[in-house]
Amino acid sequence: MPKRTFPLPRSGRLAIAASALLALGPVAPPLPMAAPAIGEDAPRALPAPPADGVMGFVVEQLVPPVIQGKDACPDGPALKIKDAFLAQLPPDERARLSLKANEPELTRRWHADIFGPNNTNICSQPDLFDRPLLRTVQSRQAWGLDLDSLGDDGCANEEFTSPHGQTGIDNQEYRVMGCTLEWRGVDGVQGDIASGTRQFHASGEWTQVILLRGVDSLQDDPEVDVIYANTPDRPMTDSTGRFLPGASFSISDKAPRHRNALKGRIANGVLTTQPQDIRLTQTWGQGGARDIRGNRTKYDYRKARLQLAFQPDGSVTGMLGGYRPVWDVIQSPSIGGPGAALVAGIDCAAVLKTLRKHADGLRDPATGQCTAVSSALQLRAVPAFVNDSPQGKTR
Amino acid sequence: MKMKLTLGLAGLAALALASGLALPPHAPASPAPAADAAAPVAGTIVGMRRLTEAQYRNTIADAFGPEIRVAGRFEPIVRPVHELIASGARGSSLSPSGLEQFDAMARGIAAQVFGPDHRDQFVPCRPADATRPDAACARAALAPIARYLFRRPLTADEQALYVRMAGDATTRNGSFDKGLELALAAMLVSPRFLYVIETAEPDPAVPGGLRLDNRSRAARLSFMLWNTAPNPALLDAAEQGRLTDPAQLAAIAGRLVQSPRFEQGVRAFFADMLLFEKFDNMAKDPLVYPYFNQDVAQALPEQTLRTIVDHLLTRDGDYRDLFTTPHTYMTRSLGALYRVPVRRSQGWEPHAFAPGDDRAGLLGQAGFLAMYSHSGRSSPTLRGRAVRELLMCQPVPDPPPNVNFTAVQDVGDKAMPTARIRLDAHNTDPACTGCHLITDPIGLTLERFDGIGGFRPDENGTAIDISGGLDGAKFYGGSGLGQALAKSPDTTLCVASRALEYATGRSGEEVSPLVEDLDRIFATKGFGIRALFLQVATMPETWRVAPPSSHATAAATPGIAARR
Repeated sequence: MPKRTFPLPRSGRLAIAASALLALGPVAPPLPMAAPAIGEDAPRALPAPPADGVMGFVVEQLVPPVIQGKDACPDGPALKIKDAFLAQLPPDERARLSLKANEPELTRRWHADIFGPNNTNICSQPDLFDRPLLRTVQSRQAWGLDLDSLGDDGCANEEFTSPHGQTGIDNQEYRVMGCTLEWRGVDGVQGDIASGTRQFHASGEWTQVILLRGVDSLQDDPEVDVIYANTPDRPMTDSTGRFLPGASFSISDKAPRHRNALKGRIANGVLTTQPQDIRLTQTWGQGGARDIRGNRTKYDYRKARLQLAFQPDGSVTGMLGGYRPVWDVIQSPSIGGPGAALVAGIDCAAVLKTLRKHADGLRDPATGQCTAVSSALQLRAVPAFVNDSPQGKTR
Repeated sequence: MKMKLTLGLAGLAALALASGLALPPHAPASPAPAADAAAPVAGTIVGMRRLTEAQYRNTIADAFGPEIRVAGRFEPIVRPVHELIASGARGSSLSPSGLEQFDAMARGIAAQVFGPDHRDQFVPCRPADATRPDAACARAALAPIARYLFRRPLTADEQALYVRMAGDATTRNGSFDKGLELALAAMLVSPRFLYVIETAEPDPAVPGGLRLDNRSRAARLSFMLWNTAPNPALLDAAEQGRLTDPAQLAAIAGRLVQSPRFEQGVRAFFADMLLFEKFDNMAKDPLVYPYFNQDVAQALPEQTLRTIVDHLLTRDGDYRDLFTTPHTYMTRSLGALYRVPVRRSQGWEPHAFAPGDDRAGLLGQAGFLAMYSHSGRSSPTLRGRAVRELLMCQPVPDPPPNVNFTAVQDVGDKAMPTARIRLDAHNTDPACTGCHLITDPIGLTLERFDGIGGFRPDENGTAIDISGGLDGAKFYGGSGLGQALAKSPDTTLCVASRALEYATGRSGEEVSPLVEDLDRIFATKGFGIRALFLQVATMPETWRVAPPSSHATAAATPGIAARR
């Protein structure tokens, strides 16, 4: 999941605009969400590796892999602030306030839940607000990677099984966020986060590229160098918004830049990188007028790995998995402040509280508490020419 | 030719009325073909060519600086069938709406030139009173501009007219600068600016004949080689009579073709020869060709022109090698279409294809391939016809009106998966076979490039046969076609003819007696484009006014008759 789950600015007008942006999304049809390729049999007819062993890709899709259906959230989606306020009322009072005539009173009262003393609010200062836990995913299935198979310092938590039967899947972020409407959507296909994220990846703001060097075989290769980085270049798209293969991109050489140099190996047609922290920037508005007061966020995946399957059409599909600091999950609505709560109804305090409950990674030695949630993003990347930055430094 | 001249002069008269300007006394009010005159008269108007849009823009930029914006729609000059726009310019009149556009542009330009940001550059004096007419200062400001725009000094009458015009406007508006503005706007809609009016003088080498005079030579040289109005040095040379001296003419023309500004002329020539105006109307189905977008559409003609300039000027290359050169230029958007890496995020960068790549040469470029395709499919016939007509100067007849295109249009027919198979079916009609035999063997070699020039190994899952032929030579693919064209004598004859047509505005028929000799000289100079244009610029025939017999012959040809 991208760090800016709910990219909403602070002011009401901008918040509405941003919400509309995410709600509308790009014109592209949703990509299939049910099969991130990991766990599938390796494709049989893979193309030959290039003679120079260099392969480039631009990331077209990087979204939370939600398993649709009623099993995950049998009690319905996670409640918005207004609904949570009504839900805690006695039935008679709930019925009274639900009347159209009483809407001003209802609005005034649920809005009161959003603000605290000294101009504080539930998204900018979520720690000051005590809210009930979110509804979480109840099913045992999730997409993701087995992040703790090698043993680490995480906290115990119930693991998932993938739809393909792989056990030990670590994805507590999905457990917490998987019932929110932003993730799950209302149409049984995808939530706003998928379409919104895709738009940012198509605009050059969050766009990412992958560069492989030393590829001798797409089937098995014990050592491959992987650069996973941002590019400021805007992908070419077809009339439906799908990225077109064969375009050229340059790895960003301007701050804030992120260029992750990873080590990987290919086994049975699947590239897997060694665990390593991965950071990728999320620029808002390219630093220009659309830049939301200069705020930038990032994908910050700790002990992260890529697991990508080569496809016969030249693309790669798979997962980015790792541990995300819990605060990162709400960083976007936190930047949005009261607008995120008032307009989008996001209960940042409830989200943060629930994330902390299910945190399973990055144990704080001082408190013994885990500070991060396991996470996975479904990734699809299409062939591209990737020019590495001149300095080639990781930052 | 006579009809063209009459039409042109009708336009001239209309413009003269519109701009309130009488033709100068030395210009006859109607054309006086040499054959009808008892004796040739110096100053006789023998031709008029309307400025092209590029020539207009270049002239304004040269006269006033590139920051002066030219905003407006140019009434197009109609291209005669199988000829150049340069030839069409000789018979191009202006419609009332076209003139309105020129008037609006003129007012816009004049307002900028004498506006607060630029007026100090163009007004060398201070009027005695900025709210009242000042004839001396107006004359000092307007005369140098007029010399540039009209490509000659103003006559005394003209100068008096424009100074009076400025003065009257100053009186009405209470602003000296506004007065200058109106006078400049009037110059910019004058036929003396919008048309290159060529005048002649008796030709001492041809008794009874005429040749272009010095001023007309300056304009023709400058527009031919730099695609802009003559600069003051060239005007000085004309006024000193140096352009009718063969040695001095050769020296001056030599300097012009060695100048970096010759690139502007080469671009204009090839844009005319290769029908680049068609790019303005090119449309592709975005569902069929997702790689075609606005960036690609704008880059296609520029890529071809950059390739031409790089090969013919920067590398001083052999014209024939334009059909095989591996060198070109790429942008990011073109790189995606060609599937080649491009390092620069913005702008152009050089690119070289691997030896033997079918992309080599002009015909492997997406610009040619896309232009001579339909909106949703490639067309071996259009591509073959374009090679014949544009590069070999061999006109191909139009299809008969009742032809049945069903077989070739159904690209989804699994029973006929490739264009070759569909054309074979189409050509069972004997009415079609004749023409297709001269186009399709050329175009079929380019079938591995789709309707926008993207590579495709197959069509409908069927391998594409790229064998073909040209005038007896057999070959494969675009690479083979390029080599065949490079060897064909018709390509160099064609470009030599086009260069002469471009310089003189005459038709291919009219210049044909001169072309073989020109081509021979072209060959001795290694088929270099500078040498070709230098030869055109210095051969006496370029400057001779076509004799009446030539007019009669031209008028009798179907192509000329069709223009009437």
